[in-house]
Amino acid sequence: MSTLLFISVFLIAACGLIYELVAGALASYLLGDSVTQFSTIIGSYLFAMGLGSALSRFINRGLVFRFVWIELLVGLVGGFSSSVLFLAFAYTQGFRLILYLVVVAIGILVGLEIPLLIRILKDRFLLRDVVAHVLTVDYLGALAASLIFPIVLVPELGLVRSALLFGLVNAAVALWSTFLFADQLAVRAGLRVACVVVLAALGAGMFGAKRIVSAADDNLYADEVIFAKDTRYQRIVLTEWKDDLRLFLNSHLQFSSRDEYRYHEALVHPGLASLPQARRVLVLGGGDGLAVREILKYPQVVSVTLVDLDPEMIRLFSTNSMLTRLNQNSLNSPKVHVINADAFPWLDQHYDLFDFVVVDFPDPNNYSLGKLYTTAFYRLLAKHLTAEGLATVQSTSPLFARESYWCIAESLKQAGLRTYPYHVYVPAFGEWGFVLAGLGPYRQPAQLPSGLRFLSLRNLPEMFEFPNDMLPVPVQANRLNDQILVRYYERDWGEMTH
Amino acid sequence: MTTTRRQFLSAALLALTPKSERPITGSFVNEDFPQGHLLRDRAAFPKPVETLKIPLVIVGAGVAGLSAAWRLDKRGFRDFVVLELAQQAGGNARWGENEITAYPWGAHYVPVPDKSAVLVRELFEELGVLRDGQWEERDLCFSPKERLFLHGRWQEDIEPAIGLTDKDRDQFRRFADRIDHFRRSGEFTIPMALGAQPSPLDRVSVTDWMREQGFDSTYLNWYINYACRDDYGALASDTSAWAGIHYFASRQPEEKGPITWPEGNGWIIKKLLSKLGRFVHTGAMVNHISQVGRGLRIRAGENEYLAEVVIFSAPTFLAPYLIEGFPPVHDFVYSPWLTANLTLEHLPRETGLELAWDNVNYDSPTLGYVVATHQTLRTFVDRSVWTFYWSLAQGNPSENRRLLLEKDWSYWKEAILNDLARTHPDIRSCVSRIDIMRMGHAMARPTVGAIFAEERRRLANPSGRLLFANSDLSGFSIFEEAQYHGVKAAEYALRMLGSH
Repeated sequence: MSTLLFISVFLIAACGLIYELVAGALASYLLGDSVTQFSTIIGSYLFAMGLGSALSRFINRGLVFRFVWIELLVGLVGGFSSSVLFLAFAYTQGFRLILYLVVVAIGILVGLEIPLLIRILKDRFLLRDVVAHVLTVDYLGALAASLIFPIVLVPELGLVRSALLFGLVNAAVALWSTFLFADQLAVRAGLRVACVVVLAALGAGMFGAKRIVSAADDNLYADEVIFAKDTRYQRIVLTEWKDDLRLFLNSHLQFSSRDEYRYHEALVHPGLASLPQARRVLVLGGGDGLAVREILKYPQVVSVTLVDLDPEMIRLFSTNSMLTRLNQNSLNSPKVHVINADAFPWLDQHYDLFDFVVVDFPDPNNYSLGKLYTTAFYRLLAKHLTAEGLATVQSTSPLFARESYWCIAESLKQAGLRTYPYHVYVPAFGEWGFVLAGLGPYRQPAQLPSGLRFLSLRNLPEMFEFPNDMLPVPVQANRLNDQILVRYYERDWGEMTH
Repeated sequence: MTTTRRQFLSAALLALTPKSERPITGSFVNEDFPQGHLLRDRAAFPKPVETLKIPLVIVGAGVAGLSAAWRLDKRGFRDFVVLELAQQAGGNARWGENEITAYPWGAHYVPVPDKSAVLVRELFEELGVLRDGQWEERDLCFSPKERLFLHGRWQEDIEPAIGLTDKDRDQFRRFADRIDHFRRSGEFTIPMALGAQPSPLDRVSVTDWMREQGFDSTYLNWYINYACRDDYGALASDTSAWAGIHYFASRQPEEKGPITWPEGNGWIIKKLLSKLGRFVHTGAMVNHISQVGRGLRIRAGENEYLAEVVIFSAPTFLAPYLIEGFPPVHDFVYSPWLTANLTLEHLPRETGLELAWDNVNYDSPTLGYVVATHQTLRTFVDRSVWTFYWSLAQGNPSENRRLLLEKDWSYWKEAILNDLARTHPDIRSCVSRIDIMRMGHAMARPTVGAIFAEERRRLANPSGRLLFANSDLSGFSIFEEAQYHGVKAAEYALRMLGSH
C-alpha cells in the first residue's frame, strides 16, 4: 500500500517538473534567449505552486475526490500544454500571455497536489513520516524528470508528445487513486468515467501529435496559407495577405510579391543587358519563373533552359493563375525548356554553352546545398560559359553574412572566373548580394529593357559600390572537401539572431 | 541477455511511436572460403586438359596483382595472365553496385599521398586524380568528413572532444608531439620500405608503449585502439607499437583528404581493369604451383600454365596449401572481418550534426559505417547505401573465424541493426536489404614482432622464380603497400625475363 502511494507521489512530482521544462524549452525554442525564458518560467511556476499551496486550505471536504479531479486537470492542462502553446504561437498574437497563463495554471494545480496528499495520508501514518517521505519522493521524482527530459524525451518524443505522455501519467495516477483510496470516495463510477475520458483524449493527442506539429508549423507563417504541399524534395508554402503573395520553401522565404521585382531585376539585368548578343540563357534554380520573366524581356534571347529539381514547383508556377500572373506566364513560353534535375550532376553530364547563366539556389545553410557554392561547381559552370558569357550568382547578404558573401566571390575567383560583385536592397530580405562572373571583362550595360520598376542606368553603378560595412573581408574559398562556407554562414546568421 | 534500464526505457517509449517495420532481405555474398577450404582440406582437383606456355603468371587480382600487371603493361610487356579465384577482381578493394549507387566491400579510401609515395602519385596522375600538382576536388572526401557519437550526441571528427578533462587534452597534445617526432625521424614512411629500420618498438604492443609513455587517458586510448581496429583489425594490445605509430606518423596531420569514391578503392580497380581486364581471368582458382625444371607449373581449373616466373599476390597464408614444398608460415596472423552493405529506402532522422562520410559510435565494438552516396554531386539524397565495417578484433582470431562461419545471416543482420539502432533508433524502418560479406582472413595483422620478423623479410626479398607481392609483406593491409610490392615484383620479373 505505502509503496504504491509513494510511486504515485514520485510520478506526479516527475510530471510537475516535466511541464515546467516543456514550457521553458518551448519558450526558448520559439522566442530565443533561453536564460530569460527559463528564469521567468521557473519563477512564475514556483510562485504559482505557492499560490496553490495557499489555496489548499480552502479545500475542506472530499479531499480524495478533489485530489483526483486536480490530477485530471493537471493531466489535461499539462498534457496539452505544448500543443496549445505551439498552436498559440502560430495562430495568435498573445503567445506570451497564453504561455504564462498555462504555466501559472499548471503551477497552481501542482501546488495543490502535495498539501492535499499529505492531508489525505496524515490519518494513516505519523505526520512526521508522511512529510518526510512525501517530500523525499517528490524531490526524487523531480530529479528523474530532469534527467530523462533532455536524454530521452526531447530527442525521442519531442515536446508535444513528451507533455502528452506525462499528461497520461497524471490521468493514470488519478484513475489509480480511485482504487487506492476507494474507501474515502463516495462516488467512484462517475469519477472513473471522467478519468477514462481524459486518458482517451490524451491518447488521441499522442496519435494526432504529428498533425498538431505540422498544423502549428503551417501557421508559423504570419499570413494566411493559401497553398501547402510536401513534395519529395521540399515543403512548398504560399501565403497571402492583402496583395502580398509570399513563397516559402522549407519555411525559408523565397520572395514577397511586393518587392520581388527588385530582387529579380537586380539578378538578371546588370548581366544580361550587358550582353546584346546573348542568345542562349540557362537558369539554375528559380522554378518560380520570375527570373525567366525578366530574361524574356530580351527579344534576342532565343532559348531559356530552366533546371529546377522539383517538378511540383514548375507545375504550380505554370498553372496557378495567381502565380502565372506574377511571372507573366513565363514558364509557358515556347522559348523556355524546363528540366527537372539536380543542377550539379546535370551540368556535369551536359556540354551545352550559354551566353548567360542565372544561378539562384537556396542559401548554403547545409552541406548538401553548400556543394552548389564550391570551386568544383564554379569550375564546371565556367565550362558552360561562352567566351564573353556571364553568370550571376545569388550570394546571400553582404551585410548580414559578410564572410559568406565574400567567400562565394572568392570561390568563383579561384575557379578561374573574373568577378564583379554587386548588391541591392530588397525590403523582404534586407541588403542582398550577387556576384557577376565571367571568363572575360564585364562592362556595365548602356541600355536596359524598358518598363523596369526598379533598375535604371542611373542607379546601376551604385550597386557595384560597397559601403564600409560590406567591404571584402579575408576569407577562404569553399571547396567540396572543405566547406568553409557552411561554417561562415552558420556563424554570420548566428551572430545576427543572437 | 540482460536488459539495461535505459534499453528498457527507450524500448517502452519507442513502442509508443507508430512505426512501420519493413521486411529486410539480403544474404551472405562474395564468399571465398569454400574454395579456400578445398585447398586446406587437400581436396582432389580435376586434371587440367590444356597446357599453356606463358612467361609470367600473376596469382591474385587484388591491388598487388593488378599493380604488377599495370607496371608490366606500361613497360610494354604483355605476355602474362592474372589468375583470380573470386568471380570479381579487386581483392580487398572489391565493390558492388545497385540501382542507387556503387559501394565498397572493403578498402574505401587512400590518404592523400605525399611526395615520397611516387607510385601512388604516378597512378593518380594517370587516372586524373592529380593534375598539375592539384588534387581533383571531386575525388577528395566531401564535407562533412566524419563524426563520432559520444555521450549521447554526434560530434565532429573521430578524435573525442566532448567531456575531456585538461589532462585528457594535454595527453592528446603530447601524443601529437610524440608522433611529430616520429614523423620527422623519416622511419615511418609510405611505402614502408623507404624508411623502416628494425626497431625495438616492434617488440612491444601499442598498449604497453602507451603505458610506458604515461598515456592513460581513456579517450586517447580509445582513439588509438579505434585506429588499430580500423586499420589492422586488431586491438591495440595485439598490435605492434611500431605499426600503431606508423598509422599516425606516416600521414601528414593537415591533409585535406582522404581520396575516396562511392565504390571506395573499387574505383581504382575499375580504372585498372578497363586497361588490363584482358589479362585477368576471374573464377580461375590456382590449386597447385610446383617447380618443373627451371620453370614453374601452375594448375588452375582446366588449364595448366608453364611459366618462367610467378608473381604470388594472393594472401600469404595460402602459400603452404598452393605451393609444393612450401613450409607452414608462422609470422602471419590474419584478422577476421565482416562488412555489410545496407540499402536504405530513406535516411534515418538526424538530430544534431548532418550525416557524415564516416560515422562512428564511441560505445560500439564495430567500426561504424561509411555512406556510399556521400561523394554524390546531387544535393538531394533520399535512398542510400551504407557500408558497415566490423573487424572482429576482440578475442582469438581463429575462434572469431569459427563464429563468422557458424552464425547464420539473420544473426549478423540482427547484430548489425542492434548496433546501428543505438545511434539511429529508427534504422529498421529505413533498411530494405543487408548483404553481408564474411572474410576469415581479411588482412595480415601487425602483431607484436611481426613487422620485422625474419620470415616476412625473407619473403619480401625476391629470390628464385617465385616472387611474393602483397601487402602482407609489409605487415599491414593498405593500398600503397600492396601497390608497391606489386610494382616491385613486376620490375624484378622483367629483369629476370630479360626482355626489358
